[in-house]
Amino acid sequence: MALLELSGLTKRFGAFTALDDISLLIERGEVHCLLGENGAGKSTLCNLVFGVHRPDGGTMTLAGEPFDPRGPAEALQRGVVMVHQHFSLVPNMSVAENLMLGRASAVLKPQDIIVRMEQLAAEYGLEIAPEARIDELSVGERQRVEIIKCLLGDPQLLVLDEPTAVLQPDEIDALLAICRQVALRGKSVILVTHKLGEISRVADRTTVLRQGRIIETVGMEGADIRSLVRSMVGRDVQSAGSVLAAAVDIEGKTPAKPTNAAGPVSPGEAVLQISDLVYRDPHGVPRLDGLSLTVGTGEIVGIAGVEGNGQTELGLILAGLAAPSAGAIVVGGTSVAACTPQEITDAGVGIVPEDRHAVACIKELSVAENLFLGAIGKFSRFGLLDKSARRKAAQTMMRDFDVRASSPDVSMASLSGGNQQKAVLARELSLDPLVFLLAAQPTRGLDLGAIEAVYNRIRAARDDGLGVLLISSELEELMAVSDRIAVIYRGKLVGELAAGAFSREAIGAMMSGHAHV
Amino acid sequence: MVLKNPKLARVAKGARLELVPLQVLVPVVSTIIALGIGLLIITATGASVVEAIEAFWDGMAGSDFNIGASINRAISLALVGLGFIFASRANLTNVGGEGQIAMGGMLATAAALHGAGGLPLGLAFIVPLAVGTIAGAVWGGLAGFLKAARGTNEVISTLLLSFIALPLVYWSVESFHLLRKPISDVSSLPESAEIPDSTKLPLLFPDNGSPLHIGLLIAAIAVVVVWLVLKHSTLGLRLRAVGLNATASRRAGMRTSFYVILAMTVSGGLGGLGGAIMILGQQFYLTSDFSSGYGFDGLVVGLLSRGSAVGVVIGALLFGFLRSGSINMEISAHVPSAVVLICQGLIVIVIAGSAILTNRKVTR
Repeated sequence: MALLELSGLTKRFGAFTALDDISLLIERGEVHCLLGENGAGKSTLCNLVFGVHRPDGGTMTLAGEPFDPRGPAEALQRGVVMVHQHFSLVPNMSVAENLMLGRASAVLKPQDIIVRMEQLAAEYGLEIAPEARIDELSVGERQRVEIIKCLLGDPQLLVLDEPTAVLQPDEIDALLAICRQVALRGKSVILVTHKLGEISRVADRTTVLRQGRIIETVGMEGADIRSLVRSMVGRDVQSAGSVLAAAVDIEGKTPAKPTNAAGPVSPGEAVLQISDLVYRDPHGVPRLDGLSLTVGTGEIVGIAGVEGNGQTELGLILAGLAAPSAGAIVVGGTSVAACTPQEITDAGVGIVPEDRHAVACIKELSVAENLFLGAIGKFSRFGLLDKSARRKAAQTMMRDFDVRASSPDVSMASLSGGNQQKAVLARELSLDPLVFLLAAQPTRGLDLGAIEAVYNRIRAARDDGLGVLLISSELEELMAVSDRIAVIYRGKLVGELAAGAFSREAIGAMMSGHAHV
Repeated sequence: MVLKNPKLARVAKGARLELVPLQVLVPVVSTIIALGIGLLIITATGASVVEAIEAFWDGMAGSDFNIGASINRAISLALVGLGFIFASRANLTNVGGEGQIAMGGMLATAAALHGAGGLPLGLAFIVPLAVGTIAGAVWGGLAGFLKAARGTNEVISTLLLSFIALPLVYWSVESFHLLRKPISDVSSLPESAEIPDSTKLPLLFPDNGSPLHIGLLIAAIAVVVVWLVLKHSTLGLRLRAVGLNATASRRAGMRTSFYVILAMTVSGGLGGLGGAIMILGQQFYLTSDFSSGYGFDGLVVGLLSRGSAVGVVIGALLFGFLRSGSINMEISAHVPSAVVLICQGLIVIVIAGSAILTNRKVTR
C-alpha cells in the first residue's frame, strides 16, 4: 500500500489554478522527484502535503487514513516533515539548541538530543557538531541541521523543496546520498527540483508537472531524460543545442568536454580591468578582498563560487550602486571605480543585475517605460513625453529581442520572468556605446525557453566583440557558456580554468576553498 | 494610505474598467451617508434640523458673496491638495501642508507690509505671492533634504516642521518688532496690520460684491500644470520611477536625491502659495491661527483624489463649500461646526474604507 495517496487535488489562488486535479501515489521507501519549470506547481503541491495551504478540492490519504492537515503542526504530528528553500534556524544559537526548539516538552534534555544526533550520524552519515553555532556553519551544513531536525521525530515522509539550489557540487552529492539512505530505511522522500541531472542520480520515480497538471509519472530505470524534458517544457528542446543541454544538465552527468566550440577563442585587448578591489560592508567586514580580474574583448569570463563569497558586492560595484573601499576598475581606458551609474553607462557598460525586481526594472511601470528607463528624455518635446514615438521604438526593440507582451503599455509585472529578463537584456544591449556586459545570475528563475534566449544573446554579444562577465551559481551554466572560468572564494579569485580544462571536480574544490590547480 | 500600497494600486490599475463607475459612485454615496449621519447628530444636539440645513445651505451658496467665499476657501485647499499629490507621485507623503501654509502666509504678509505695497504693475501682489511660495518651498524642501541626506521619514519631518512653523507665526504676530501691528487704539489683538490695498488680490467680479479673486485663475493654472507634469512629462515619469523603486532609478542614471528634494520643494511651494493667497485674497492681516485646519483639510483633499488633479478640484470644492456651510450653521442655527468636522471625517473613512473593499473584491 502506498504511503501517501493524492486524489483529485486542486488548489486555486484567486482566478489562478495552481494545481489542477492532481492524483499521485508516493510508495514507501521511494525517492520521488517532482520536476517542472517555475510556476508549474511543485512548491504548491509540497505546501499542501505539509499543511501550509489547504486544497480547494480532492483528498489525501496517509498510510491508509484520511489526511487533511490544517497546518504544519498537524502534518508533523502525522510524520510528514519538510525542508523549505529558506531555512528556519536561529543563527546565534547552537545546533543542539536549534534542534530542541519546537520539539521540547516542558523539560529540556540536551543529552537526549545529542544521543539522537549520534544515532542519526551513524545511520545516515549526517555528521555535525552539536555545539557549533548556526551562523558559523556553511549553507550546506545548515541544511544538514534542517534535515536532522526533520529526522529527529522518525518521520514517514520527508519533503525537500529545491534543496540543491544553494549547495556546491560536493554538498549536492552528499545530500542525494542522504536521500537514498532515508529511502532505504523505508521512509519516503519527495524531492523537488528542476535539475535533470539530479533526477537520474537519485530518483526511483519522477513526476513531471506543467501548468498545475501532472504530465507523466515515470520509473527511472531506462527512462529517457530527453523525453522528460519534452514533458516539462511542452516542446522538444533538441533544437536548443548542446549549450542549453549542458547548461541544464540534461545529460545527467558532467559534460565530458566544453561544448562551446564555436566563437572566438583568443580574446583581444582588455575591456575590463579590475585590480586589487576591496569592499568592506558597513560593519567593516571585507566582502571583496583584493580581487583582480581582466576581461578581454570577445570573451565570456565566468565567475563561479558559492553564493555569499562576494559575487553580489562585485555586481553592485560594477553597477555603480556601491563604492569600493579600495582598488581600481578600468573599462576601455576609463576609470569607473566609485562612479555614478550614469558615468558607468556612459563608459559603455551594460548591466544585467542579479536582482531583477529590485534593480533591473520597475515592475509597476510599463514595458516601454522600462525599456527606456535610462533614456526618459530621449522621447520628449519641451519636457513632455512623446509616448507614441516611444511606443514605436519599444515595439521595434520588443520584436528584435523577442519580448512577448500584448503591448508595450502593459505593466512589467504582467510579464513572465523570462520576458522581463529579455526586456532588461534588450535595454542593456542597446546601449551605445557598449563594450562590456555584466550578467549576474542572468537565468535565475527562468524557464528553459528563456534560458536559451539569454544564452544566445550573451554569446551573440561576445561574438560582436563585447567583453562579458558572467556571474552564476549554476556550475553547469558557467561550464557551458564561458570561455574562461574564475573561481571566487571569500572575496578573492582563487583560481582560473581555461576553456577545455573545465572540470566539475576542480571547480568544486576551489569553490570550497581548497588549493587550486 | 491606499495610494502607498503598490499592490492595491496595481490591482486598481489593472481593474480600471470595472472600477470607473465605482470610483464616481463611492465618493457620492459616502458623502450622502456621512451627511445623513451628520443630520442624526444634529437631531441629537436638539437643534432644529430644518433650520440647520437652511443655515448650512445659506452659508455654502446662499448668495454671490457666500459662493465666492466658498470658492476662495477651495482655492487654498486645492493648492495644498495639488502639493500633496505632487509629492505622492514620488511616493512621498507631505503631511506638512499646515506648516507650509503658515510659512507662506507669514512671509507673504511680511513682504506685503514691508516694501511690496509700492510696486507697480501688479507686482505689489505678485511679489508677496512669490515670497510666500518660496517660503513654503523651503519648508517642504527642508523635509526633502532630510529625506535625501539622512533618510528621515518625510511624514515625521513635515509634521514636526509644522509644529515649528505655527509657533513662528504666533511669535511674529506677538512681537512688535516683527509683524504685530502697533498699538494705536483699544484693540491690541496679536495680529499684523492690514496689508496695503495694492497688495490685495484683484477681485474677479468687483461689481456684485463677490469676494472671488484671481486666486481662482492661479489655482486653475496650477491644476493644469500639475496635471501635465504628473501625467505627461519626463519629470513626472522620473518622479514616479524614483518613488516606485529608487535603486532601479539610480541604476538607470537618475539622481534620486535631487528628485526627492524637488518633489518636496514643489509640494511645499504649492502649500506656501495657498497660504499667501489666503492672506492676500481674503483675510488681509495675519493672525496666529490664520491657517487653522486648512493644511489638514488640504491633505485630506489630496488623499481622496487618489493622485488625480481633477479629483483635487472636486475634493477642494466639496470641502470649501462644507466649511463655509458649517461656519454659517454654527452662527445662525447654533449647531456646533464640529458636526461638519465629524461629517468630513466620516466621508474620509467611508471613501477610504470602501475603496479598499472594492479593490479586494476585484483581487479575489
